[in-house]
Amino acid sequence: MQNKENVRLLLPAALGPEFLREEWCGEIPQEESRVLIFWDTFEWGLWFGGYLLYSCGGSYHLCLRDGGWMGEELCREKGGGARRFWGEFRTPAMRTQLQGVLGVRGLAPVVEGTFHRLQDELRNELGKIVCRLEWDSISAGKRGGEELLHTCRLHPLLGYEAEAARVMARLTLAGARTTGDGPLELLLRNSGCTPRRYTLRPPFGLKEGTPAREAVGRIVRTILGIAASNLPGLLSDLDTEFLHDYRICFRKIRSVLALVKGVYPPEEIGRMRTILGDLARQTNRLRDLDVYLLAREEYLALLPPGLRPALEGMFRDFAVEREGEVRAVISRLRTPSCTALLRELEEYFGEEMLHGFAPAADLPVGGVAFRRIHGRYKKIRKLAGGIGADTPDEEVHQLRIQCKKLRYLLEFFSELIPPEEGGAMQKLLRRLQGRLGDFNDASVQQLSLLTYWQEKGAGSDVALGVGGLVSILYQRQQSARALIRQALDEFCGDATAALFKQCFKTAVSAPPTAPPRSSTP
Amino acid sequence: MKIISSYSIKGGVGKTALSVNLAYALREAGERTLLLDLDPQGAASFYFRLESAKKFKMRDSQSMAEGLRKNIRESDFPGLDLIPSNLEYRRLDILLDGMAKRKKQLRNVLEEFKSDYDVILMDCPPNITLLSENVFRASDMILVPVIPTVLSQRTLEQLTGFFRDEELSAKTLRPFFSMVQKRSKMHREIMADLPASHPGFLKTAIPFSADVEKMGLRRMPLLAYAPTCEAARAYRALCDEILAPSGSRP
Repeated sequence: MQNKENVRLLLPAALGPEFLREEWCGEIPQEESRVLIFWDTFEWGLWFGGYLLYSCGGSYHLCLRDGGWMGEELCREKGGGARRFWGEFRTPAMRTQLQGVLGVRGLAPVVEGTFHRLQDELRNELGKIVCRLEWDSISAGKRGGEELLHTCRLHPLLGYEAEAARVMARLTLAGARTTGDGPLELLLRNSGCTPRRYTLRPPFGLKEGTPAREAVGRIVRTILGIAASNLPGLLSDLDTEFLHDYRICFRKIRSVLALVKGVYPPEEIGRMRTILGDLARQTNRLRDLDVYLLAREEYLALLPPGLRPALEGMFRDFAVEREGEVRAVISRLRTPSCTALLRELEEYFGEEMLHGFAPAADLPVGGVAFRRIHGRYKKIRKLAGGIGADTPDEEVHQLRIQCKKLRYLLEFFSELIPPEEGGAMQKLLRRLQGRLGDFNDASVQQLSLLTYWQEKGAGSDVALGVGGLVSILYQRQQSARALIRQALDEFCGDATAALFKQCFKTAVSAPPTAPPRSSTP
Repeated sequence: MKIISSYSIKGGVGKTALSVNLAYALREAGERTLLLDLDPQGAASFYFRLESAKKFKMRDSQSMAEGLRKNIRESDFPGLDLIPSNLEYRRLDILLDGMAKRKKQLRNVLEEFKSDYDVILMDCPPNITLLSENVFRASDMILVPVIPTVLSQRTLEQLTGFFRDEELSAKTLRPFFSMVQKRSKMHREIMADLPASHPGFLKTAIPFSADVEKMGLRRMPLLAYAPTCEAARAYRALCDEILAPSGSRP
């Protein structure tokens, strides 16, 4: 079978199959109406990955995305019921395609439209089909309201390309055109929904001279916006990443407030940090459970097959506990007091809010941030000197926390740092954080597993499984410890220290200018 | 890619009905199929409402493939393409005669279509020429319709004799009973005896059917307009038999 290029045309509303019957034979086809529901993740993973997934009449169809059009269909799967995660699809092709794009993210409907379709066949004088056409009228929603788009797709037949060209010429003369927004773009625009790139590290539009309070306010407002965008998904428990990102947002805001001191009055900022801590704390257990359940397959694979059933019971317990914890978190987040705390945060960091005096409020953020970054780096270097094979876990944990703070600072103020140097620093820091994270995860997980075993008073089978896993995690922790030293040497070595000094030297050596008096409420 | 031909020295035995309906059954089974109508009468092309192929003038196998490719027509049934017949094909013998390895050239030409099709099915004219010899050497399987009559039986013997004389592989010959009338005692007797002397005989038999004769009026395969009639079911069974892993070898 050879390739024949299909042609897509946008048509004036009045143009239909009858128009072509002056020149070609063939019955006027019956119209079929189909409601298509399009699915994607919160991050628009399918859209930006170049795919479209829609369900229609009890089947799921995965296509390549061609602008706002459905392109080539890659696979389809029959079967009713909503599918949320890639693992809920049954056909291997669908699972393989979706796994890479969706990861742990859940699918939700993003828009639906009604497609009225006429499958048309044009025949020559012998009654032979010489061109196929699909006429589509697309309207928003299930009931087929106002028509958003009228299109026609030409499918030339091999050996009859000239006929298709003639059909196209006729339609073009009548006002058809080949370019314009596709049905998806129009349906999304009609519903007020725009695919947007999601990131936890957005630009804040900072310059070195931006006053520190304005800069911090902008950072906080942006991150609060990201937290708010995650809240609906968290409240519907669509997937575990909403909670993960929601917590990261609050952690980041707490960090920026602690790291860039002196830009808000300390007593006011103390209250804000307490609110942020309270909001994050109430989701701690749920996140712990998510982490365990997401790692279920990995944990089971660590054990010999004979011990795996012993651990299944623990995961069942966690799954049951999670159901209760999700309900509790959702109801807590919906309480008036929680909503009021969130509102208080938003108002406090609102652009219109006037705050009391703080010494660094009007200093250029560049100098303030660079001093903090360099100071944090020096602190890490100092801590790193004491890390060895026998360092207590707690000290390694403290080093991890300091690294995280530095990472946040580098991220918050990345727009002020030369990209090449900033990238190099972040790369080394990420590697170190990865090693520290592996170490810490293994340590925390051992403790949690042992706590579960003690609290549960679990029988011998579970004890066997937990014991087996704890042993493996302990070995992992030891392996991770050995790798930390190497990453520390890289990150704290003279070359990296020189890089930090070169980037942040000016700010460090320049004395802080006397701040002008800040506005008072 | 499999190359299958529908061939008999005798006319009127159901070769074209086989080609048209088997091609349809193959695309139903998901096989990308090209039907090559080599019979100058062009009956297979007629059944698919196709006009004659354009002339092609070429001397070497590569340009012969190009000439054939230019004549490919997509049928009304997705997955099934045709190269319609043309009176020019009577010159194929002369063309092939002028080439090196003249008895094996057709296989080389058809290999050019390997990436586009799973099956190439050839509807052949009822004669033995240089083109026929090329068809025999190009085919992985030669389907031979045999009406259970003495004359058809004799024709099959002539064909097997030709294969023996020309040292062609008899394993590719796959006769099957065509236009069978169960009420005929002679049909029943020949069907009971003949397969024993031909190891490649296919089990499926195509019954005589008035539905098949209506193909000329409907101008489409029987399987498209009477998909559940007895003959249509038999063509599908024949398709299954030759596609089965054991179907390609006796």
